[in-house]
Formats: sequence, C-alpha cells, structure tokens
Amino acid sequence: MRRRAHRTHLAGLLVLAAIPWQRRGGQTASLAVTDDAQRVVRLAHPAQRIVSLSPAITELLFALGVGPRVVGRTTWCDYPDAAKRVPSVGDGLEPNIEAIVARRPDLVVLYQSPLDLRAAGELERLEIPALVLRQDRLMDLARDARLVGVLTRDSAGADSIARRIERIATAPAPALGVSLAYITWDNPPIVIGGESYLDELARLAGARNVFHDLRAASSVVSLETLAVRDPDVLVTLADSAVPHPAPPAFATGPAWQAIRAVRERRFVVLGGSLFGHPSPRADSAVAELGRLLRSAR
Amino acid sequence: MKWLGLGLVAALALLVAVALGPTHVPVAALATSDIVRSIRLPRGVLAFLVGGALGVSGAALQAIVRNPLADPFLLGLSGGAGLGAVVAIAAHASGALPVALAAFAGALIAMVLVYRIGLVGGAELDPRVLILGGVAVGAFSAAVTTAIVSLANAALLRNAMLWLWGGLGNASWSSVWLVCASLPLPLVTLFAAARPLDLLALGEEPAGYLGADVTRVRRQVYIAASLLTAVAVSVSGIIGFVGLIVPHAMRAVWGRTHRALFPAAFLGGGVLVTLADTLARVVVAPRELPVGIVTALVGVPTFALLMRQWTAR
Repeated sequence: MRRRAHRTHLAGLLVLAAIPWQRRGGQTASLAVTDDAQRVVRLAHPAQRIVSLSPAITELLFALGVGPRVVGRTTWCDYPDAAKRVPSVGDGLEPNIEAIVARRPDLVVLYQSPLDLRAAGELERLEIPALVLRQDRLMDLARDARLVGVLTRDSAGADSIARRIERIATAPAPALGVSLAYITWDNPPIVIGGESYLDELARLAGARNVFHDLRAASSVVSLETLAVRDPDVLVTLADSAVPHPAPPAFATGPAWQAIRAVRERRFVVLGGSLFGHPSPRADSAVAELGRLLRSAR
Repeated sequence: MKWLGLGLVAALALLVAVALGPTHVPVAALATSDIVRSIRLPRGVLAFLVGGALGVSGAALQAIVRNPLADPFLLGLSGGAGLGAVVAIAAHASGALPVALAAFAGALIAMVLVYRIGLVGGAELDPRVLILGGVAVGAFSAAVTTAIVSLANAALLRNAMLWLWGGLGNASWSSVWLVCASLPLPLVTLFAAARPLDLLALGEEPAGYLGADVTRVRRQVYIAASLLTAVAVSVSGIIGFVGLIVPHAMRAVWGRTHRALFPAAFLGGGVLVTLADTLARVVVAPRELPVGIVTALVGVPTFALLMRQWTAR
C-alpha cells in the first residue's frame, strides 16, 4: 500500500517536470512592459495569479475579463461583487509582503507611492514580478489597461476598454454652471485640489472645483479662503453609498456659517467606490455627480 | 514702560492677525468686512487666548516642579489630550465639539493619572515624581495614539496628525466665549498663588518656614495649570513650545516674581500664537500650515538664542 502511494507520487513528479518543457515549446516571446516607475516588468507567460493592491486596478482587471485570475486584493477593493470573494492581503497602504507572497502570485500590481515602490523592490528580490502603475486620472487608467493587457496577453480586449475610458475622459462637458468644493475633513478644513480624480470628475460633469488651482490632490485651507471662493455646493464623501444622506456634521458648526453654501444648505454626498477612483464606470460617476449637483443647486 | 511696550505689541499682533489673511481685504473695508467679523477676528482672539493660557500654564508648571524644562508636554497633559482627540476621531465623532470634549477629558485624565502616580509613590506632587509620572503618562499616551493611528486608514491618519500639530481653523465666536468663560477661575487661582510660588523658588523648606502651605499651593497650581492647558488644547489641538519658551523669555525681562511673570506670560504667549497663526494662514496661502509647526520653527531658534544669552552671562 505504502509502496503504491510512493510510486503514484513519483509519477506525478515526472508529469510536473514535463510541463515546463512543453510550455517552453509553445512560448513565442516573453511579455515585457515598462511601468510608471520606469521599471521593466518581464513575464515568461501571461499572468495567471494576480494580486492587485488598489481598488482601481482590481476593478479594471475584472472589467478586462481576467477577474478569475485575481488571487489577492486589498480591503478597499469592493467592486464588482465578485472581487469581494477574493482573499484580502490587507489594506495595501503599506503592503504586507508576507500576505502577498502567500497568495503565490505571478504578477503583483501596485500603486505608484513611496511605500508601494519599496514593496515592489522587495517583491523583485523574491523574483515576483511587480507592476507599479499611476492611477490618478482616467488617462492613467487607460494606459494601465493597455499595460495589463500586454501582461495578460489580451491586448485587443484591453485596447477596447482603454478606448472606452479615453472617450469618457475627452467627452465634451455639459454647461452646468455650478461651482463646488469637495470637503474631506472639517477641522481643519481639507479640500480636494486640482491634482485629483475628483477634480477631473467635476470638470467632466460641467462643474468648476473652486480649488482647481491647488497643485495638490488635497490640502488644508482656511475657512476664509473657502468663504471667499464661495462655491455653490459643498461635496462630501462617504465610504459607502448613502440613500438619504444627512447634511455633514460641520453644517451646524458656528464657524462654518460664514460659507454661503452652508447657510443655504447646499450639500451633496458622494458614496461608494464609484467616485473614489478612476474606473471604466466613470461615465456613470459623471452622470450621477451632474444629477446630484443639479438637484442641489 | 515695558508693560506699555508689551501691551502695544499685543495690540499690534491682533491688528496684524485681523489685517492679514489668505485673501485680500482692503484696509478701508476691515471694519465692515464679514470675513473679518466672522472668521479673522474670532480666530485672532482665540489664538491670543490659547497662547496666553499655554504661556501661563507653562510658567506655573515650571514653578511647582522647579525645573526649567517643565511644560504641558513634559507633564503628559498634551499627550493625554492628543490621545483623547485621536480616540474621538477614530470613533468617527465628527464635528469640532466632540473632539474638543474628548481632548479636554484626555488632558484631565492625564492630570489625574500623574497625580495618582505621585500619591502611590508616597510623595504628593513631589517635583521629581511629577516629572517622571508626566513623562511616563506622556509616553504611554503617545504609544496608544500611535497604535490607533497606525491601525487606522490613511485619511484618519492625516486628520489625526493635523490635529496633533495644532490648528485654529474652526475658530468662531462661540469657541471664544467658551474659552473666555473657562479661563478666569484657573487664572485667578494662579495669580493668587503668585506669592507662595515666589517663596517655593527658595526651596520647599524655606518656603514652609516663610508661611507657605507648600502641598496645598502645589495641588492648586497643578490643577489650575492643567485646566488652562486642557481648555487651550481642546480648542486648538497641540501647539508645542509656547508653554516652554514664553515663560523663559518673559523671565528674562520681568524677572522671577510671579505676580509680574503670569500677566507677562499671558500676553507673551498670546502674541506668539497670534503671530504664528497669522503666518500659518498666510505663508502658503491658500493652503494652511498647522500652527504648531510654525511655533516650533520660530520658537526653537529663538530659544537657542536665549540660551546663548544666559550661558554667556
């Protein structure tokens, strides 16, 4: 009995050993791209086990039809629903290398941030290919789609998604004639500036972000600046979609009454992942923002 | 003459705070501008009161522990307030009031803890125990604060860090009235203890011989100074170095008599925070810096200069 088990095991090993040889025979060339950190990422064969460290990339992978190959995600990746069934490797802000390696990935996709770059270096030392992608704007995401398409060997599908994203990003904006400020924190007041996806969304919806000129994704500003820039509507963000949002807590703060939009109670709450990052669903985000702004005006 | 000078500097600081801001308000319109009335003026006044409270608190704490390093930071009060605020922020208590109340509570809990550590050690408010207890409570608070912040998400982390570096962005007339209502009692208590504190500078035993009830004075002064810090921190976050450098700078001019030192430290602290907050609002406008960064950037070199003067003497 024991002997037979041993023999079966041996036979299995022989079969396994034969596979790489056969693969090599069918392989045309290695897949290689240059990522946003100017690193060359080379794969011997199309990625089969992908760990995504950002919600934007997870959503993109599912849109590209390679969702079943995603074997790791962050706690923030909640779209589409199928993504929630993928094991999480943590919040991804400071990538947990051990949790990532445990998923035995053949490709890890990271966000372009100092912590992620360091993680990419560590993964490289462990001979796990790591792709660092900027994903701050729609055009970044279109480019990301094409790079991922090369590494999953589905350039045609990726190109069609990329062109769809580019069409959304270059669509003419309606003339909404509304100005807004995104408020992400009240004490001290933090607003979203020009270097952000939310600023791009406002532009595409035909609205004007009164802090578009801030050369940062977000920044602390004084209430005085907010009062003087006088946005028509204040937009806040919620983690999840809220069906009947209440006005933000700061709306009752005495200091905030200097702001016209607070006095006139013009608030819009954006909920859920639809607004949080660039995605192939951006056209829905633009339409929804436009609708909310028109009803708040 | 020097009182007149300090008074003028204080008035000038408030004037500058009202006249300067991230947006341009013409001088002629200053008196009628909504921005000045509802944003700049309450913020300037609040900055002054907070600075004054921290200055006096620092002078009082330095006197009872008879240590030039003492300030609300060293005695663990700021750490406790920071922990309280971060707990409130992590619990998604939105709005300025819950965070302010939590910070106030945190400072008071730190005060009680330090006091209890002193009692356990068998020496109520012994200066060494106060400092060691303060450092311990401060370090413990900092560890718990860092644990919460590092387990929280990125947005919370930044919001908490901003609070920990101080800011007067949500100043309003109601916060000014709140502080105005809370300051008189601890200020009067401290002023009344000015003479015993002078005696305490001679040493505990001599002070006792000269009629000072050392333990009672220490207890009163410790509680009053902690209250001042708690009130200041709850409306402004943690503004460092004010409680440390202002008393030293004022002692250089007004000497060691607390009857003069307390009012001078109030005005001096007020001037420092008002000007620091004006810089915080203006230098990177329309963005804004945490005011604690400005007090550190301006305060530390000033302190170094003062130190050089003292050692040269």
